[in-house]
Amino acid sequence: MTAPARAGGAKVRRRATRLATHALPAAVLLGLLALTWQLVAVHNTYLVPRIGAIWAQLVDNPREYVDAAGNTLQESAVGLGASFAIAFSLAVAMSYIRVIERAVMPVAVIINVTPVVSLAPGLAVALGFGMAPRYLVTGIIVFFPMLVNSLIGLRSVDPEAIQYFASLNASRLEVLLHLRIPSSLPFLFAAARICFPLSIIGAVVAEFSTAGTSNGLGSLIELASQQGTSKSLPQVYAAIFCLALLGLSFTLAVMLVERRLLSWHPARAVQGQA
Amino acid sequence: MPGPGLAISGVSRTYQTEDGPVAALGPVQLDVPQGRFVTLIGPSGCGKSTLLRVLAGIERPDEGSISIFGESVEHARRAKLIGFVPQALALLPWRTVLENARVPLELNRSGGANRRKPGRGPSDVLRALGLGDVLDRRPAELSGGMRQRVAIARAFVSEPALLLMDEPFSALDELTSEVLRRELLQLWHSTRTTVLFVSHSVSEAVLLSDQVVVLTKAPGRVATVIDVTLERPRGDLVEVTDAFRDCEREVRLSLRGASVPDQQAP
Repeated sequence: MTAPARAGGAKVRRRATRLATHALPAAVLLGLLALTWQLVAVHNTYLVPRIGAIWAQLVDNPREYVDAAGNTLQESAVGLGASFAIAFSLAVAMSYIRVIERAVMPVAVIINVTPVVSLAPGLAVALGFGMAPRYLVTGIIVFFPMLVNSLIGLRSVDPEAIQYFASLNASRLEVLLHLRIPSSLPFLFAAARICFPLSIIGAVVAEFSTAGTSNGLGSLIELASQQGTSKSLPQVYAAIFCLALLGLSFTLAVMLVERRLLSWHPARAVQGQA
Repeated sequence: MPGPGLAISGVSRTYQTEDGPVAALGPVQLDVPQGRFVTLIGPSGCGKSTLLRVLAGIERPDEGSISIFGESVEHARRAKLIGFVPQALALLPWRTVLENARVPLELNRSGGANRRKPGRGPSDVLRALGLGDVLDRRPAELSGGMRQRVAIARAFVSEPALLLMDEPFSALDELTSEVLRRELLQLWHSTRTTVLFVSHSVSEAVLLSDQVVVLTKAPGRVATVIDVTLERPRGDLVEVTDAFRDCEREVRLSLRGASVPDQQAP
């Protein structure tokens, strides 16, 4: 065997070792939990369905679940996007003009402390059973963390950098684009890590209140629980499994983008070296 | 005969605090001829940095007037005549070394446009300071001395007519700052821009400057102006010559006189 090949083999082995040490504990715990689940399910079919039954649901009706997941994804994404656009623009205005902050902040807090679940049925009545109330509920649930993190981020600028920019007679727009927005990125990603999974909750809550129209995963759960057939429970859990998968992929997506865009950030750099 | 340089007349600055107004600076009277390297030195808290910030247009003086090559501070700032090296560097952590050095060219584009001549680009200045190998690194990956070099390069990139440097080497160890002072002198020789440099090191002030301005304790006023007559370029061993030592002694004595309280507080 040649030297490079040996070195390559060592590299593969090292990578395998690292994967094992990092992923193994979680895999073992997941396995144990699944085993416990299955033991409970075998003896109490009416409490929790067997893993095989959930799996069969997914495999037998892939289209149903993929379509539903697509709808839920669309609701979360549109709600998130619109909410972020509004929250960030407001935060920019608030960071420049105190009066706007004084006006907006109390209202934002009131919206935040109101349980969104309680808003959903009313919004459904007001806006009909289309997508609109779903976008709105998702948007409202993620609005506050987006707003607050954007504002803190935009204000987290190094004052020396502001002074340096002032010495070059940089315009307000230049300060915003070259200083405030890049400085706010770590805070925006912190908000994204909270808000992306939160947006799925928003979408599901809205679907519960607007069942009967286009189906999301939440609507599937709602319908299945109402029917109460022997298939209902596996259906409910199959939908829940898809929701968990959706949340997981959102979180992974945020992490990947963050790793790319925030490689300069001290906290990131340290993690990257480890 | 050099043209009109920097004219500071009767400039003072008072900060409003909870305990009432605190006089931080002045009135300061100082003329810096064009092309001179002048260092401000004085007891800590005497307002050296405040004076620099006033000149950079970051703060406004409460009284007095400033003329930078015959123009107002506001005009000089708009025309990007001023290069500022803040004490804390203010490098942007998300930009690479090269991108950081480009900042003064990217901002306020109209300001420098009319006098932009095809001089040395950012990468040339960075290379001259030995940063050729780290152009694509980010500030967090560099040593303190290298970060300092980036901040100096960034200031020279826009070829400012007036360079304001606020204790740029104070955070570095003695060996590194020794090297950097020499590099700064070399860079300055190639441009001969007017420099106002704030320092708390007597030997640094003497090594770099044509003139050392000693300020009194707060509120800082000009105590003495000492001409440094050592020939340029300063030799490698200039620090051990008698002329250098004499000059150092003169600054030190003046500084001691300026630091002594002129009247006892009741």
